[in-house]
Amino acid sequence: MSVQPAMPKSWRVDTKPHKFCPGCGHGLVLKALGQAIDELGIQDRAVFGCDIGCSLLAWDFFNVDTIQTHHGRTTPVITGLKRANPNLIGIAYMGDGGGYAIGSQHLVNAAARNEKITVILVNNTQYGMTGGQMAPTTLPGQKTETSPYGRDPEKTGYPTQGPEMVAAITREGAYVARGTVANLRQLKNYLKKALENQMAGNGFSFVEVLSACPTNWRTNAEETWKMVEEEMPKYFKVGEIKVPGGQKEGEANG
Amino acid sequence: MPDKPIEGEKRVFMTGNEVVAWAALAAGADIMYGYPITPQNEIMHYWTRLAPRYGREFLQTEDELSAGFTTCGGVLAGRKAFTATAGPGNTLMQEPMSMAEAMRLPTVVVIQQRGGPSTATVIYSQQEVTMTTLGGNGEGLRIVYSTANHQELFDYTIKAFNTAWKYRFPTFVLGDGYQAKMRESLTIYDPAIRGIELVQAEPFLGKPGVPGVDRPPTQLRNTYNVEEELYEVLEGYFKDYEKIAPEVAEHEAFGLEDAELVVVSHGVVSRACKAAVKELREEGVRVGYFRPITLRPLPVKALRETAEKVGKFLVVESAQGQLARLLKEAAFGCPVEMLELFKPGVGITAEDVVSRVKEITG
Amino acid sequence: MRCISGRIVEAYIGEYASGKSEVAVNRALLLAARGRRVNLVDLDIVEPCYTLRPLKKKLAEMGINVVAWETREMMGLGETGSIFYPANRWALRFPGDVILDIGYGVEGARTLNLVEGAATDPDLKIFAVVNVGRPMTGSVQEIVEYVRSLGRVDGLINNSHLGDETTVEFVQDGARMVDEAARQLGVPVVATTVLEELARVIGTRDAAGHPVWPIKRFMPHALW
Repeated sequence: MSVQPAMPKSWRVDTKPHKFCPGCGHGLVLKALGQAIDELGIQDRAVFGCDIGCSLLAWDFFNVDTIQTHHGRTTPVITGLKRANPNLIGIAYMGDGGGYAIGSQHLVNAAARNEKITVILVNNTQYGMTGGQMAPTTLPGQKTETSPYGRDPEKTGYPTQGPEMVAAITREGAYVARGTVANLRQLKNYLKKALENQMAGNGFSFVEVLSACPTNWRTNAEETWKMVEEEMPKYFKVGEIKVPGGQKEGEANG
Repeated sequence: MPDKPIEGEKRVFMTGNEVVAWAALAAGADIMYGYPITPQNEIMHYWTRLAPRYGREFLQTEDELSAGFTTCGGVLAGRKAFTATAGPGNTLMQEPMSMAEAMRLPTVVVIQQRGGPSTATVIYSQQEVTMTTLGGNGEGLRIVYSTANHQELFDYTIKAFNTAWKYRFPTFVLGDGYQAKMRESLTIYDPAIRGIELVQAEPFLGKPGVPGVDRPPTQLRNTYNVEEELYEVLEGYFKDYEKIAPEVAEHEAFGLEDAELVVVSHGVVSRACKAAVKELREEGVRVGYFRPITLRPLPVKALRETAEKVGKFLVVESAQGQLARLLKEAAFGCPVEMLELFKPGVGITAEDVVSRVKEITG
Repeated sequence: MRCISGRIVEAYIGEYASGKSEVAVNRALLLAARGRRVNLVDLDIVEPCYTLRPLKKKLAEMGINVVAWETREMMGLGETGSIFYPANRWALRFPGDVILDIGYGVEGARTLNLVEGAATDPDLKIFAVVNVGRPMTGSVQEIVEYVRSLGRVDGLINNSHLGDETTVEFVQDGARMVDEAARQLGVPVVATTVLEELARVIGTRDAAGHPVWPIKRFMPHALW
């Protein structure tokens, strides 16, 4: 007897099982996003944009109108769409390369202009789809196809602190957080708040998600979780970084 | 309900860039995305001054990549969106425009050509023909109008929106720095009084209803898994393009009946050629005039007929053979000799053309 | 024609392509022809394309000191084309009359802030050039709104025309509209500027009774 796992209502059932690798973080992020969309009741208004890279495998993931764009250009496409029809809820979904390298120009400017869109950036420390090249978020010492001896921060700098940058250049009204696939309840919460921030018309919302790529990391289940739960947080701090009104998660209770 | 930007019609004195802004308003454009680059900045200057009066929108983006991609986003949302650029900005525009080609997005882009390659001059050229007609990593599935005067800039900018939304190919109005800055009189009008019906925009994404419940989700992509998928899609597009080409292609010509040489040109250079050919014909020189108004699709039938009848073309352009290259492909197999008057980045006068024709005809 | 004895300092401002440069050049030539020492200052700084630069040599030969870059002196013209010519800053210190051609821009008359002493010069007059053939100044109300947005304006000049298609009627319609706008703004109409051929037909006064200044066209040769 086959038991259907509980899927968010906004997921498209006929495109499951999805195409992501076993152990990939995308499936988890998209589940949290699906739940957020369900709970907010915005399935009819949301437009989901995905980038080039593994994020493009999400193009037929949801029962939500979707546009797969060019590498790094999801932010401007969703920006343009939202500006043209402000009733839509624009979600720009991309990886760390699409967001912090080729798309950084667009990310920075959309944030600076306080565009009323929600950007979700999945950080798995390398360019997954193309075989695992070094990315802006690769950890020092991490081996990738273009840093075969391990990333040397002397030569190539330290991992990009994306949410911190976005928080620094945005003003009151922006929502910025970093979640992790290791804590899905918290992640769903962040994604909900990021979407609510857009729905309220406050401003730019940005959530980076620490995610896993066992395929390119060449890690087994245990090593994968170690990377996500122990190694990555050494460079990427999980938590809310900027909340409109200033009250971050956990602060309410003192 | 905001007023119409133009009531009835009136005779005015404007620069080309302003004409584009007014025409876009008259065409019902909802939003312009743009980035500053000479010589098209006044399109934005005027749009930003006028748009608020008529409930239209504007976004200045961080570069032309973004201007092009936000324009794609705007049309996906079902609004008449446009942008404008030139030179190096046009180079950047190729990336978003190749997405528009791949996904049949009805984008409208106005190009005011300047010297190239690279930064070159901000002034004028006809050196963006190759890029505008066949740019990006595609197969030239685009529609390109090359205007010669301000009246045409007005007429064809309005037409570009209709063409784009009717046929769903990225559509371009190819002007140049001289047209952009020169001052001329023209008649601006409300398209309705000329019997021009504006094609309605429709959303691609965000249509009414819950996706997966009330209607299937719209899921658009520009990537395929196997060669055959891509091939099939493109074959479909080629068929569509070929079908509409005869309806869309436009040209003007005269003096072909007895011509031994035809002067072929486009855009603002065709003004000088027209004047030159008229002058020469009055002197009894058997020279004709041919001007493609659409560079994509070229008026191939008319071109080939002319090439079959008349043995010599003199191709006149402010570029090093960019128009000539397109003509050679279109006329392949016809027994026509292609002569040239190429002045890349430099304006061409009627005197220049007259001298060259006399040089050829002896 | 106003009494020409004291120093003349006039700044021509107005909408894009309204004819400011043409009027400024002609005004400078008129004064030079009367044996006056004239400085013509190029203050076109928002993407100038029709400017005094290409005319510098020619005008110098006609006795005018043109305070502007010469086209070929400028590097990477256009991209860097709006660089302020240093001498412009001190334009009001030049001996003789000073005619300032102020390019268009959202800042209007504030461009004069770049010229030392403009705020306190006792002879400075700022004239707004208006062409009713341009859609944004095509009605009395639009002219009034537009001129109000410019800042300080001391007088209006009716430069209404449609290029090669200009008719006497068009100029006179413009004269009447500019006259009414000036009334509402509380400033005088300084003159109607019109091509020599048409000026001969109109006479010395326009339909609203203001002086007619005949002009010749120079600017079509002044692209970039």
